[in-house]
Amino acid sequence: MKKSNIGKMLILFMLAAIMFSMNGCGAKPQQKTVSDSTELDSPLVIRLEGGDWGFPSPFAHYSRGPGMSKMRLIYDSLLEKGEKGLIPWLAKEWTISPDGREYTFVLNSGVKWHDGELLTAEDVKFSFEYFTKHPPVSNSLLIDGKPFIDKIEVIDECQVKITVNEPNATLLDRLGIVRIIPEHIWKDIEDPKKAIDLVKLVGCGPYTLTDYNQEQGTYRFQAFEDYWGPKVRVDVIEFIPVSDQVLAFEKAEIDLLDVPADLMDRYKNNEEYKILKSPAFWGYRLLFNMEKKPELSDVNTRKAIAHAIDVDELIEKVARGAAVPASPGYLPIDHIWHNPDVTKYEFDIEKAKELLNNKSLSLTLLISDDQKEARIAELLKINFAKAGINLEVRTVDMKTRDSQVKEQNYELALIGHGGWGQDADCLREVYGVTVARDASPVSNVIPGYSNPQINELCQKQLSELDEQKRKSMILDLQKLISDEIPLLPLYNTVEYMVYKPEKYDGWVHVFDHHAVTHNKLSYLEREK
Amino acid sequence: MKYQKAIRYLLTFFCIITLNFFLPRIMPGDPFYFLSSEQGEITITYSQEEIQRQKAYYGLDVPVLTQYGRYLKNIIKGDLGYSIYFNNDVRLIIKNRIPWSVSLVLLSVIIGGFIGTLLGCLSAWYRRGVLDKALYSLMIILSEIPAFLIGILFLLFLAARQGLFPLSGGMKPFAEYVSWSSRFLDIALHGFLPALTLAVVQMGGFYLIARNSMITVMSKDYMTTAKAKGLSTRRILFRHALTNAALPIVTRAFYSLGQAVGGTILVENVFKYPGLGLLMRQAVMVRDYPLIQGIFLTVTFFVIIMNLAADIIYKKLDPRII
Repeated sequence: MKKSNIGKMLILFMLAAIMFSMNGCGAKPQQKTVSDSTELDSPLVIRLEGGDWGFPSPFAHYSRGPGMSKMRLIYDSLLEKGEKGLIPWLAKEWTISPDGREYTFVLNSGVKWHDGELLTAEDVKFSFEYFTKHPPVSNSLLIDGKPFIDKIEVIDECQVKITVNEPNATLLDRLGIVRIIPEHIWKDIEDPKKAIDLVKLVGCGPYTLTDYNQEQGTYRFQAFEDYWGPKVRVDVIEFIPVSDQVLAFEKAEIDLLDVPADLMDRYKNNEEYKILKSPAFWGYRLLFNMEKKPELSDVNTRKAIAHAIDVDELIEKVARGAAVPASPGYLPIDHIWHNPDVTKYEFDIEKAKELLNNKSLSLTLLISDDQKEARIAELLKINFAKAGINLEVRTVDMKTRDSQVKEQNYELALIGHGGWGQDADCLREVYGVTVARDASPVSNVIPGYSNPQINELCQKQLSELDEQKRKSMILDLQKLISDEIPLLPLYNTVEYMVYKPEKYDGWVHVFDHHAVTHNKLSYLEREK
Repeated sequence: MKYQKAIRYLLTFFCIITLNFFLPRIMPGDPFYFLSSEQGEITITYSQEEIQRQKAYYGLDVPVLTQYGRYLKNIIKGDLGYSIYFNNDVRLIIKNRIPWSVSLVLLSVIIGGFIGTLLGCLSAWYRRGVLDKALYSLMIILSEIPAFLIGILFLLFLAARQGLFPLSGGMKPFAEYVSWSSRFLDIALHGFLPALTLAVVQMGGFYLIARNSMITVMSKDYMTTAKAKGLSTRRILFRHALTNAALPIVTRAFYSLGQAVGGTILVENVFKYPGLGLLMRQAVMVRDYPLIQGIFLTVTFFVIIMNLAADIIYKKLDPRII
């Protein structure tokens, strides 16, 4: 009897000890900012799927979209991505000198930091200089790994002039999205990666962070009452852990659902819900290693492969209908500069055989252990066999696949990634071999392929400052690429977001990004 | 003798921390190179210059042996390094998650062990009877169902349909508790379904071991004596038989506790519970060397401690073991 009592007490003691140590690193509210909503009703709280994406400072968030977007709720930039293109933000206007080397930004006046101090042109100068010394997680101030700013001058209290080394069409975008950070907070911080203290999180954006818990994956953002910009519509944004999105949405724990394609019917034709389709900016592409497999350097072989792929079948069976065929010219159908007149390759086994001269071909396809990729590979294998192409599939984990692609240790490889909506200069990064091979792993130069015409156009568009001229070059470039298919985009996925408009109806997509929750315009009042 | 044992433990420990260091580095890929991303996700990619800069920041640009030397020195100082992906002190990251993992496993071993052992005893007592056969089939089936499936069923019926338990997480988001009891209740409510799921998974193993061990003990002469004395079934079963059959069950319990960190991945995933298992998987996926090392070290430490505890308890249970 006595023994068992001791046992019970021991267990209770252990449990109690554990409960006590469960403090976590939950940050407590530093300041209670209450939005002065003119409406009488209670503050609007929007709950979204959370998960840990890091401490949202420009230096500490994780290198993924959700981490970056949370940081951007707190920090504003000179320009912002709008629905159609770049829009004025902290800078109300800007001018670019005719030689394309001087960018002058005119700042809005009376912009306040979250701690009440005023934002000055010096802060802007400081931000750019600080980021050069201490690169943030997402750094737009490098082109192919090299800095391009020559000098930054403060002209007067609301004007800043940035001089760059050489003219470049992507610079306005690159300069515009740089976060502006307060000099009075950061000037003495030598290792900003390790500055993960809520007090340091002072920005001039529409939200302040009042709570962050790393292991629970929760964030609580509160509207900043002295925000300089458009009126903030959502008073509080809460990111919470979600075990199953559909269950959580049905129980009204979250307000936005990324609905699986198979469950769409549940919300279709229902007054209570609205469905928002995202632009198709995530996709798969098939890489050809022409160095390891010289047969692939024959454009007819690549075309034969393209004809032997039934993209519609892939979309129906793997993406369950939630995707669109990719453009052989790379820029997807929803890209602002997409060329609809590129060469297309219909599914046609006979044509494929003809292009191969009825010869057989043996290829190895490298994929990651992702289920969808395995399905794509199996479907490719079946149709390839009909065309006389014998496909062997090699499966490794995602990181291994990535590093083998980097080391060019593959014949065919399948990769899936986001960011297909970004500036058209990505064509140069993907197809233009002018970049030295080890300079930028992102460019993942196509092994054994170089086309002088494509390379030249890639370079020309980069220094063309006239937007219309540049656009027509990009359209030509896509046509050229689609004739050559040095690599083959397969399909781009779309997402369907379901929400109840009665609670909140402000969700919007910006021109280059697929997630409505990732841009701050979704939470702000929009100007007509 | 004791001295020898201590040396053996130390050697094991040294081998393991060495493996911890080299294994993640043998895997292809590095912490900074990302080409692809999960569906619907954007990864920030870096140029070669930026990767070099980051490697220098984390001390990964020097020869591996120098890194190994630093790693050993830091371990002695108790410094596990700074996580590359999660951007925090590894010690802190692990410290904040251990209570959740450990309490989950502890609870599940207690519940699963208790019920499993109890049913095992009953089964052995009514051996070859209807109850035994029914229990045996049920337990075999239960132990073969994957943990995540049981978890999803619980989630669907007990949490979503009935609304008895919260859907996910370890505690109510942004809760400010007024008292210890409300805090305890909230954490217990959140932990109940994950612990129950794990308990169900554990139960089968305990049942089988208890049943086997009891059947062996039942055939011993002292059991016949106990029965002949006319003692009550309960007394015979739990006092005379179970104490003698306890050794394998205790082994099993410590084995399960040793699995605390890695064994909960599936359940953590289903309930988005903040344990160490899922973190370990993520750390491996992004090749976060310091964090992988830290978690593996914790796991090692745990297993060694549990082995040690089992050794000590054995001696108490069975005086014949020296």
